[in-house]
Amino acid sequence: MIDISAFQDALGIMFSSVGSWGWIVPGLIVGLVFSAIPGISITMAMAIVLPMSLYMDFFSAIVFLTSVYTGAGFGGSVPAILMNIPGSPSSFATTFDGYAMSKKGEHNEALGYALFASTICGIGGYLLLLLVVEPLADIVLRIGPLEMFAVAIWGMLLLGSLGSTYISRGLLAAALGILLGTIGMNTAGFTRGTMGIPVLLDGISPIPAMIGLLAAGQLLSLAGRDYIIEAEGSREVSVRRILKGCWGTMKFPGVLLRGSIIGIVIGAVPGVGSSIGNLIAYAETKRTAKDSATFGKGNPKGVVAAESAVASAEGGSMATMLALGIPGGGATAILIAAFMMHNIVPGPSFIETQKPMVYAIILNNIVQAIVLLAVGIGFIYVASNIVKVRTRYVLPAILVIATLGTYAVTGETAGPITLFVFALLGFALQRYQYPVSAVVVGILLGRMLETEFLRSYQLSGGNPLYLFERPGALAIIGVMLLSLGMTAWGKRRQNKAEAEEEAAMLRLQQEDAANRAGSHATKS
Amino acid sequence: MPSILRAANYPSRPINVIVPFATGGYNDRLSRAFAPYLEKELGQPLVIVNKPGAGTQLGNSYALNQPADGYSIMCTSAAPYIPLTVLLQGAPYKVEDFSMLNLPSRDYTLAATSADSPIKTFAEVIEKLKKDPSSLSIGVQPASADYANMVLAMQASEIDPTKLRVVTYDGGGPARNATAGAQVDVGFVGGEGFLPLKTKIRPLAIFAAEKVDWYPSAPLLAESGVKSDFVEGSQRGWAVTTKLKNEQPDIYKFLAGAVERASKNPQAIEALEKQELATTWYGPEASDKAYRDNASKMAKYVALLK
Repeated sequence: MIDISAFQDALGIMFSSVGSWGWIVPGLIVGLVFSAIPGISITMAMAIVLPMSLYMDFFSAIVFLTSVYTGAGFGGSVPAILMNIPGSPSSFATTFDGYAMSKKGEHNEALGYALFASTICGIGGYLLLLLVVEPLADIVLRIGPLEMFAVAIWGMLLLGSLGSTYISRGLLAAALGILLGTIGMNTAGFTRGTMGIPVLLDGISPIPAMIGLLAAGQLLSLAGRDYIIEAEGSREVSVRRILKGCWGTMKFPGVLLRGSIIGIVIGAVPGVGSSIGNLIAYAETKRTAKDSATFGKGNPKGVVAAESAVASAEGGSMATMLALGIPGGGATAILIAAFMMHNIVPGPSFIETQKPMVYAIILNNIVQAIVLLAVGIGFIYVASNIVKVRTRYVLPAILVIATLGTYAVTGETAGPITLFVFALLGFALQRYQYPVSAVVVGILLGRMLETEFLRSYQLSGGNPLYLFERPGALAIIGVMLLSLGMTAWGKRRQNKAEAEEEAAMLRLQQEDAANRAGSHATKS
Repeated sequence: MPSILRAANYPSRPINVIVPFATGGYNDRLSRAFAPYLEKELGQPLVIVNKPGAGTQLGNSYALNQPADGYSIMCTSAAPYIPLTVLLQGAPYKVEDFSMLNLPSRDYTLAATSADSPIKTFAEVIEKLKKDPSSLSIGVQPASADYANMVLAMQASEIDPTKLRVVTYDGGGPARNATAGAQVDVGFVGGEGFLPLKTKIRPLAIFAAEKVDWYPSAPLLAESGVKSDFVEGSQRGWAVTTKLKNEQPDIYKFLAGAVERASKNPQAIEALEKQELATTWYGPEASDKAYRDNASKMAKYVALLK
């Protein structure tokens, strides 16, 4: 729980170094811009500004870097909503409903929903972090491979809810994705599917692959149009409508809360990060929603669920970083490096000896989330003007930027080559109506699925009863089965109701017909 | 241009430091923290170039593809990564293609358990495994110095390594988390990385010949009564290609001198110590010897790693 005197000292640090607050806005803008460019990830943005931060004092440097991190957490959703191309893997689930809303001309609202979900859950995540930063660290260390495997399965279940016209094609696409995701050297040291190419030893780089798969089909379908959004009337950019989306977010407190909890827990697990959290939050929200049939067709709840998980995952991975010195993903790895470069080693002893500093960092992140609201609206306003530009100018620009971005991610031609190969694959998949998103989820989760299964097998020595030694895993599986069961039951009830309704309609028609026939009979 | 002429006005532009790991790791931090002091000696800025992937094979190949003109140097965990990529991944270069300038950081395998584990000593571990090799789960990174050390210790204690319950991790970090979080009963991982998690683990045996100054409380392997040969863990620091050393001896000498002066700079020593980074000056000969010794031991025990 909160240590009051340390908290007061933290406020002291915050207000005695007010100068450092000046780094919040520049940091947010850097984060927003870099992550909105498809191909450039949060990690890249932070690696670029890391050397700059070395010339600042410690607190300013951390404020600047964490602001980049906060801004980047939201920036990826802008291209996801406007163009169906996620800026980073963690905004993949945002595309499902975000882009569908854009197509209906509701891009202003969609961006507003995403921004507000991001800010509220960012703040919520950090507030919770303030309370549980110490115990959370211990819990995170206890999460073992079996629990992780259960989480990966949960993520894969999303495939079922992504839906496609043909179930068999969906399964086939998912299998292909998982196979692609397991290319490279696995955790036991075996190498598969690299075809002797050394670059593939680390597996397929997910960002270029994802952009290739998603952007190819997208760019092709956009090429046939003059503008991203066809109806001229709906191309307007309006702050009023963005704000309307923002307020609209408040209508879904349950979605926000669930997204936050999923985001924090999954974000805190080292090495998983927000790209899986947002998939699970989306899937869970869809599964439990009464109007689940409208998900993927522009339901704002889908956007809110995905973005709330991304934003609170940030707080989660910050917790593991501060409390254990363990990075949750690439971005926090860079934060650790920044700490070390200022002669501070995060970890248990850091929390014990420097609690005010830890609190000050967390509090500052809350301030950043609030500032993001203002900066974000401005950014959305500027960025969404892209819908007013003719596609013949937008498409080549996106293509060039994405190619450069993937080059930057891998630092060599492997990035653009991956992009190209997967663009062809994406085109073929789309052409023959295989769901591209199933392949993406497979690539994102395949490695985790395999690694954690293998480790669970090694740990248990092949004994399936091991499951009962891990209450955490049992609980996750229990919740999963329960939610599946409830959906199935709900569906059945819905089907029953529909069938009854249909039967009633039929009866009415028959009666009607009979009546008419009867009246005919009496007439004649 | 003849080499003498090129060496005469060397260096005339910024020098690239190739780090075959992602940002934030030990080598990355070492290169960035040391850079200001080395820049002073070289008279040119250093540009850190991260080339992560395939267990340093991508970065190593990249370094070998650069012209041998002294404008590309490396900051890397030379051992055991270079020998491992050669022995296990069939990398297209040889161990001798790289020459060391100085390897200040030496890491050793540490066998550890979670702080609240019932296991207190390494002898206890051996005793338990002798009775039943599958009684404890062991976390380790495959094809690593740690793995070789684990197998050697087991063989020395007459335990069949194939019967162990080994859990594999694809990096030191995850293996350490699993150890600290009691996911596995015992972890064999590079000891230095454990320092931030010091309070969460209990060191059982460090695979070193004498006490290491950064972890003096860790008991030596020999103290546990296990008489086993072992491979030194990571040897990290500054290296160049052998081609540069042979073709441009003046540049090589100049670089070695600059690293030596920077390593002995009291300001550098103080700054790096605060970040838990090593600056010890062993020099090119001693560093090369340590690197090649590690490579030949790796080659000797390569069968264990497969």
